[in-house]
Amino acid sequence: MKVRKVALLLSLIVFGMGGVVGAQAQSFPKKAISLVVVWPAGGSHDIAARMVAENIDKSLGEPVVITNVTGAAGSNGMRHVAQAEPDGYTIGLMGMHALVQSFMNPNAPSLDSFEPLVFMAQEPGSLQVRSDLGINNIEEYVQKLKDSPGSLIHGNDAMGGNTFVYTKLLEEYFDVELTKVPYPGHAANTGALVSGEIESAAMPVSTIAQHHEAGTVKTLGVMAEERSSLLPDVPTFKEQGHNLVSGDYYIFFMPKGVPDEVAQTLESAFLKAIQNPALQQRMEDMGMTSSPGGRDIARQVLAEQEAIIYPILLNGDLVHESLIK
Amino acid sequence: MIINEFLAALLSILSSPEALMMALFAVTLGVILGALPGISSTMAIAVLLPVTFGMETQLAILFLLGVFISSVYGGSISAILINIPGTPAAMVTQLDGYPMCKAGLGGQALKYALYASTVGGVIGIVLLIVISPWMAKAAGSMRSPEFAAIAALGLVMLAFASGKSPLRGVLVGLLGLMCGMIGFDTVTDVERFTYNSVTMQGGVDIVTMMLGIFGLSEVMKNLAGASNPIHGKPGMGNAKLPIWRVLARWKAAIRGSLVGALIGCVPAIGSSIAVSVAYAQEARLSKDKDSFGKGNPDGVVAPEAANSSSIGGSLIPMMTLGIPGDTVTAVLMGALLMHGLRPGPMLFTNNPEFFASVYAALLIGVVATLIVGLLLARWIVKIMGLPPRILLTGIAVLCVVGSFAIRNSISDVFIMVFFGVIGYILHLLRLPAAPLAFGLILGPILEENLRRSLLISRGSWSVFIERPLSLGILTVTLLVLLLPMLSALCRRWSNSMRRTA
Repeated sequence: MKVRKVALLLSLIVFGMGGVVGAQAQSFPKKAISLVVVWPAGGSHDIAARMVAENIDKSLGEPVVITNVTGAAGSNGMRHVAQAEPDGYTIGLMGMHALVQSFMNPNAPSLDSFEPLVFMAQEPGSLQVRSDLGINNIEEYVQKLKDSPGSLIHGNDAMGGNTFVYTKLLEEYFDVELTKVPYPGHAANTGALVSGEIESAAMPVSTIAQHHEAGTVKTLGVMAEERSSLLPDVPTFKEQGHNLVSGDYYIFFMPKGVPDEVAQTLESAFLKAIQNPALQQRMEDMGMTSSPGGRDIARQVLAEQEAIIYPILLNGDLVHESLIK
Repeated sequence: MIINEFLAALLSILSSPEALMMALFAVTLGVILGALPGISSTMAIAVLLPVTFGMETQLAILFLLGVFISSVYGGSISAILINIPGTPAAMVTQLDGYPMCKAGLGGQALKYALYASTVGGVIGIVLLIVISPWMAKAAGSMRSPEFAAIAALGLVMLAFASGKSPLRGVLVGLLGLMCGMIGFDTVTDVERFTYNSVTMQGGVDIVTMMLGIFGLSEVMKNLAGASNPIHGKPGMGNAKLPIWRVLARWKAAIRGSLVGALIGCVPAIGSSIAVSVAYAQEARLSKDKDSFGKGNPDGVVAPEAANSSSIGGSLIPMMTLGIPGDTVTAVLMGALLMHGLRPGPMLFTNNPEFFASVYAALLIGVVATLIVGLLLARWIVKIMGLPPRILLTGIAVLCVVGSFAIRNSISDVFIMVFFGVIGYILHLLRLPAAPLAFGLILGPILEENLRRSLLISRGSWSVFIERPLSLGILTVTLLVLLLPMLSALCRRWSNSMRRTA
């Protein structure tokens, strides 16, 4: 009897010390993991999630299944994850929308109900004008708006969307005023810039690169620390002396309360998948700046973003009264 | 000239058994997924996207375009057989396709649809090759006033595509328009008609609504004994369709194809408007106007041809400008990005081989759809031989599963049931149901572009008549609207003249 107990104890210790990963490989995951994407199939978030899910299967032993829970500017999907059992079988991929909606929409779940898991990549914003406008750099752009406020017709997302946030940032930073026209999504916004309906826009680099090369639009600056590989000839805002860095981001997250060892398994599996060189190349082709990081980095990025975005929303009178801090 | 590259790309596919197998495989999957209610072309492509990760770019294009084309035809299968459009644009096909099916001619309707979409597909590709640079220019110069004008034209067209009384069609269409306002307003991001409920914030999805008003309400109609789709079990014999009877309808097919190819390049709403224009045009030109809506094969042929030829058109803005017009082309563009191809003006001028391979893949897809469609037709028709209790239960299950699958949300199932009841009430009131769905598709586009035009013109309505393109579209809209009234007036006038004489 005693021998058996000791043996049991010993084996437990051995497992506990040496076999953290091994033990979990047996206990988690036991079934497929549902990865919630809050945008419809085919968008850049969806494609990013599918790329990672494709790569992750082998290292986790169970498939990762994409679930598109869409609607209400991404809040339906966020709520779906927030209300899920915190067992690691339901996780999500979020971007800037989650942060913005958590301040604007009282029905959107608060960021406190989540735990960031892995930071995947960032997709910087940028500022561009139609080439026939004759504006060649940021100084001329700002000067034109200072001379006659609202004189540029500028396209952006509906309130709370990414390019809306970039636009607000620009207005705040340079203390200028644009005539803002909302578009549903980046494709429509790019179309309007190409057709000449609008004169200026603040798009993600990937959507605009082709038109910059073709010469229809001129990108004045990229809101990133480093130049984009898609537009190597365009300087960043920082290079031009303006501390303006912003972009959409890709952060995997889970509901609050997932056991630590489960979170660790997920974290390492996702990190491993994202660091795959083929996937890194694909992300670069799509205009994302990938700098994968675990829970700490993801948490830090989210906090930085919140510090930038909350004041802008507050100044723009966009924060819902019940959510003002 | 791109013709040479096109032929080279075509040859390279035809000479590779692997590519041909891939095309047939893609097309079979596409037909089945497209036929399942609730799985749109967009979802079919998105779901199958990871399959192409490991493929060569050319094969991947062939695979994805094959799925795209065949899912468009697949959508008409369920529209014809069980009155549920598998994809939104198949909504018009069922106006005459389903009555044909009820008359025991389901197999024939399927073949009409198949041949028409082959003709439409080929014509669409030819036009794509010949005039895409001009189409690209036209698509690239469209601004908000034009989009608003086209949406208005679509609304008017749908009124004529919806049976004998355009007025009733318009009224139902307006209800659909209002359903489109539920959720976040796209211009100001303010909530509308949501009553602060989480369910309503997501708005009404078009597929959810279609499953309700067409699918579930059909089940309810049958339970109430109002209609019985199982007339004399259409057997294999009914699927036979002599080729000359198809050829006799060449006019409808050609007209439909041209309409589809031209209107298809209008971003976002191309195919929905193209099918309704094609249908309304056919109904108007026909000598036998009364038979439309009751199973006239021309009512299947024209919209199916338009639907299929609009595929070529819908690819134009994506390939030449890098601006996807609708969700399907957005997914396709995402797929191309992942394979390192960035569609846009640069690719268009620098890489004709890429375009040639797209055209070739489209053509192969169309032909493969014809083959697979013919092989499948005789099996699919057997569905109609199922006893009603099994068929109707199956339809009800598909409606529930389909509406859930769209956004993975149980509230969409409730919304579907709600619209099922609405669909049944519309049926009792003898009102057409299709305009409700059309209103939902066109409403947000009309509203958003109208408001945006006014925002840019700083409140001046003259923007709609100052731009020649929007003025032209609005004139056509007005003519379409007034013609029946004018011709009725003329007739009455000449009659009274005769009487007094």
